[in-house]
Amino acid sequence: MNPNIYRTVLDWIPEKSSVLDLGTGDGAFLERLVQSKQIRGEGVEKDPLLVARCVERGLVVHQGDIADGLDQYSSGAFDYVLLLGTFQELMFPLEIIREAFRVGREVIVSYVNFAHLSVRLQVLLHGRTPMTRSLPFPWYRTRNLHFLSLLDFQDVCREAGIREVKRACFNARGAIRLLPNLRAEEVVTLLH
Amino acid sequence: MAVPDIKPDVKVDPGDLQDQKISSYRSPLGVTHTKTATLEGFTTESGFQFDQLEVSYQTLGTLSPARDNAILVCHALSGDAHVAGMNPNTGRPGWWDYHVGPGKAIDTDKFFVVCSNALGGCAGTTGPACSRPDTGRPYGMSFPSITIRDMVAAQTRLIEQLGISQLFGVTGGSMGGMQALVWAAEYPERIRVCVPLATCTSHSAMQIAFNEIGRRAIRSDPHWNEGNYYEGRRPAHGLAVARMVGHVTYLSAFSMTHKFGRKRQGPNVSRMQDAERFAVESYLEHQGESFVERFDPNSYLYLTRALDDFDLFDRGEAAEIVRRIRARFLVISFESDWLYPPAQSRELVRLLKRGNVAVTYINLDTPYGHDSFLIENPPFARVLGHYLNHEYRRTNP
Repeated sequence: MNPNIYRTVLDWIPEKSSVLDLGTGDGAFLERLVQSKQIRGEGVEKDPLLVARCVERGLVVHQGDIADGLDQYSSGAFDYVLLLGTFQELMFPLEIIREAFRVGREVIVSYVNFAHLSVRLQVLLHGRTPMTRSLPFPWYRTRNLHFLSLLDFQDVCREAGIREVKRACFNARGAIRLLPNLRAEEVVTLLH
Repeated sequence: MAVPDIKPDVKVDPGDLQDQKISSYRSPLGVTHTKTATLEGFTTESGFQFDQLEVSYQTLGTLSPARDNAILVCHALSGDAHVAGMNPNTGRPGWWDYHVGPGKAIDTDKFFVVCSNALGGCAGTTGPACSRPDTGRPYGMSFPSITIRDMVAAQTRLIEQLGISQLFGVTGGSMGGMQALVWAAEYPERIRVCVPLATCTSHSAMQIAFNEIGRRAIRSDPHWNEGNYYEGRRPAHGLAVARMVGHVTYLSAFSMTHKFGRKRQGPNVSRMQDAERFAVESYLEHQGESFVERFDPNSYLYLTRALDDFDLFDRGEAAEIVRRIRARFLVISFESDWLYPPAQSRELVRLLKRGNVAVTYINLDTPYGHDSFLIENPPFARVLGHYLNHEYRRTNP
């Protein structure tokens, strides 16, 4: 994932808030949040080896599959729910966003923009499933189940009545402001 | 249940420390001893009054000047107070020597470890094999019903006697895990960290059923004699069968396939009258026989009843009970544990989290069944060790 996304999320989250990090991996980012923002943090991760890494960092972590829901958390238990880098890998991403809004006040999602110029060109010129910096795996090995663009995401938010409060778009060189649906490789957005 | 594929890269565990023939094992703690505490006046949940209770216990490590580094380890059904170090009476290591000791998951260089034999047991703490003060003869079945809460109440008295007003942590697997849960729910101010392993808040019908097979085996042994066997022959056969059934439920299809497969004892063509044909049969036979030497059949009846009767939430709404909890939790289950399946731990975790308890939950994919917490198990030891050390540092920066 683009390191700018982590930096952006660190900026967005105020000190001492409570944060649930879905798909927390080895807990490196959650640990950064705990240390630099004194948040009360908790991670959810399905791989027991990565959960063990989180325990080694002293984090509160729950081994579970996000796809099974967040039934273990009570409503409004967190200020922020993070869904970074895994959005397009979820079978039913909208249901998980709905659950995230039940347990959290605000939800931060990042995803890969499938309408990026290099993706479009590869499909158009080569006629093959694209492989890019942010889509590094061949079609038979990718964990991505959905391929969405920034515009797709906006449409879905509008239909679901979700408001995008903040958005930041990046490619390898940095932030993108002009023509993001064409130029952004990855997008992070704060939803309310 | 399908037998899993054989994975050649997985080391076959040598088993737990209580029942295996371990001759080469050496404990870094050397020889350790148990002591006996006397508790004056103790009333069980059922209302029975003991004038005195004896409690066998062991302590390892040093209590800090602030008295804030004590960890109580609660043993499972067949365990005892001798948690680690070599037992001079048996020549065996303590039942959790893999995980308790200097530099181990429960580090005796940092923590003051206490382990006591459960009330109703048969390894130094008052139980059905002990003499009644009024008759001078063993209690047998006149021993009162014992509950998990009674066991914990006796532990709280022992901990007070040791001059500890608040434990840093309570941990244990299976029956020991139930005790850890009771500590957190009923003595919330006296425990900071709770680590229940491979346990549940109440037994399912399947768990009760397996225990009942064991109890029936003991009661239907002609030598059981309504529990009055202390002057004659013991119902050794019944207890051995109970242990055999129990032991199978502690293993997994994977570990049994690896340990025994279809290996035979003796000739390939055996006659019907040969007692043992397969390696697994003589293993179970050994398990049963070695258990009979160290366990009282009546204790087996009382302790399995306490397990089956236990329900953490039978005194009110679960949410209300959880709300009282102050401790932080590490809950560990094992994917291959079909006796205390991970779903039971997940339900416990759900209830705790909904009550805003800080819970870390990990379901380790150790393939050795319910026994996974008793055996040499580096992934388990790492998680337990790191968690305890982090939590201790968090509260003592």
